[in-house]
Amino acid sequence: MKRTVAEINQRIKDGDVVVMTAEEVVSYVQSEGVERAAKEVDVVTTGTFGAMCSSGAFLNFGHSEPPIRMQRVTLNDVPAYAGLAAVDAYIGATELRQDGREEYGGAHVIEELVAGRAVRLRASSSGTDCYPRKEIDTYVSLNTMNQAYLFNPRNSYQNYASGTNSSERTLYTYMGKLLPNYGNITYSSAGQLSPLLNDPTLRTIGVGTRLFLGGGTGYVAWEGTQFKTNVETRFGVPMGGARSLATIGDMRGMSPEFIRAVALTGYGVSLAIGIGVPIPILDEEVMRSCAISDEQLFSPLVDYSVQSRNRRPIKHFSYAELRSGKVELFGREVRTSSLSSYLKARQVAETLAERIEGGEFLLTEPVAPLPADRGVGTLEVRSKEEAV
Amino acid sequence: MAKRKFLLGFSPDLVNEAIVYRLVKDYDLKINILRAEVREQGGRLLMEVEGKAGNIKEAVRYLNEARVEVQELATYVEKNEERCTHCGMCLSICPVEALTVERPSWRVRYDAERCIACGMCIDACPPGAMKFRL
Repeated sequence: MKRTVAEINQRIKDGDVVVMTAEEVVSYVQSEGVERAAKEVDVVTTGTFGAMCSSGAFLNFGHSEPPIRMQRVTLNDVPAYAGLAAVDAYIGATELRQDGREEYGGAHVIEELVAGRAVRLRASSSGTDCYPRKEIDTYVSLNTMNQAYLFNPRNSYQNYASGTNSSERTLYTYMGKLLPNYGNITYSSAGQLSPLLNDPTLRTIGVGTRLFLGGGTGYVAWEGTQFKTNVETRFGVPMGGARSLATIGDMRGMSPEFIRAVALTGYGVSLAIGIGVPIPILDEEVMRSCAISDEQLFSPLVDYSVQSRNRRPIKHFSYAELRSGKVELFGREVRTSSLSSYLKARQVAETLAERIEGGEFLLTEPVAPLPADRGVGTLEVRSKEEAV
Repeated sequence: MAKRKFLLGFSPDLVNEAIVYRLVKDYDLKINILRAEVREQGGRLLMEVEGKAGNIKEAVRYLNEARVEVQELATYVEKNEERCTHCGMCLSICPVEALTVERPSWRVRYDAERCIACGMCIDACPPGAMKFRL
């Protein structure tokens, strides 16, 4: 059985495309077999909704009268990077408000904009002959700005380590609140629904792949930062953080249902984003990958009290075990928590399926593939000579 | 029989009063103390009270007369349903399983009746959906 993206798009236009979510397809393949499922189903939709720190927005505010070349910019008191052209800025999700308190940051500004609210823009400049203005204090929203698009350097990680804490005190980490003495375990993946776990070698996903981003439409812009392929696999799927996507998409059309600022006490602010990638069922092999279930997907458990980048996994748990609510660790029952929302991940996959069935969302062929062989380096304190 | 939860606040001069004893003896209430603390500003007592509805009402009147601040506990911690993303971070934090996940919907439910107002979920909730309502 072979199928092309063009054929799938024709079926979408004709209104007879068959779409299933990556969750629905698990039991479908179990009962019908891969061959039959691959023949029947054209597209499998995936979804995830979790904190993705490496996210942010490019904004163009338009020119004021008289014009200003903005050098320092804040939005609701959150600094944005303005080392670009006069009225362009980038606001990063984890940037904190100038008072340094953890409750409000770039992610909140992004959520407010997506929700249609106005945010206070303050900018200053030393003034130039061509941009004489030195200060401006005003309000902007998605209605007033020329461009407002997310450009996220690392989203939708292919698998991720789960966390626990062997120490005597509670740890506040980006993996959430970790109770002392292995008091709990936290994890963050949509598992069987997660985009890159369903196409583990990125056969169908590449630069230019159209996807569901924050409730709107986005694209794969590039490989995500820290993209790596040399990770141990089980059932053909990496058993830890591996590939990731850099994504881009217009904030207009996004929804606060799928763009949500989160505050991780003791760590800071992050942005939870809903992302869904449609997987064209080009052949049985693609379908086999999509049929993977939480029982076959594993997350390494690491101890966050070890303050080193070299944390050896204590053991691996399947997402089925993690999602059951409790697992056994060192002979004791330990409760688990998810940082990503399975309910929202499912909503993403279902919404994307509806859009494809409704003819609003066509699939794309990658413009260029993402790396097939890539490792991740480390940062050492080096001399200038050693660095080249 | 009724079961209700209260947060009592005592000014420093009331700290030595045997208030719980009076509640048991005079109003025939079954008391389960969840938290108790004494600080410079006075004391706080978090408790579950079981007894005849009329007796609980009388007991509250007695506490008011004794100048004890009385707050009913159902409103102590609140879950903002719009803010909650149903991630489930709170599930392994809540010591009394007042926060549970409904399957297969994966909706996180908050049972205010079970809540002992320890507040551990509040700084654990990423979208900030859990708040004290003091």
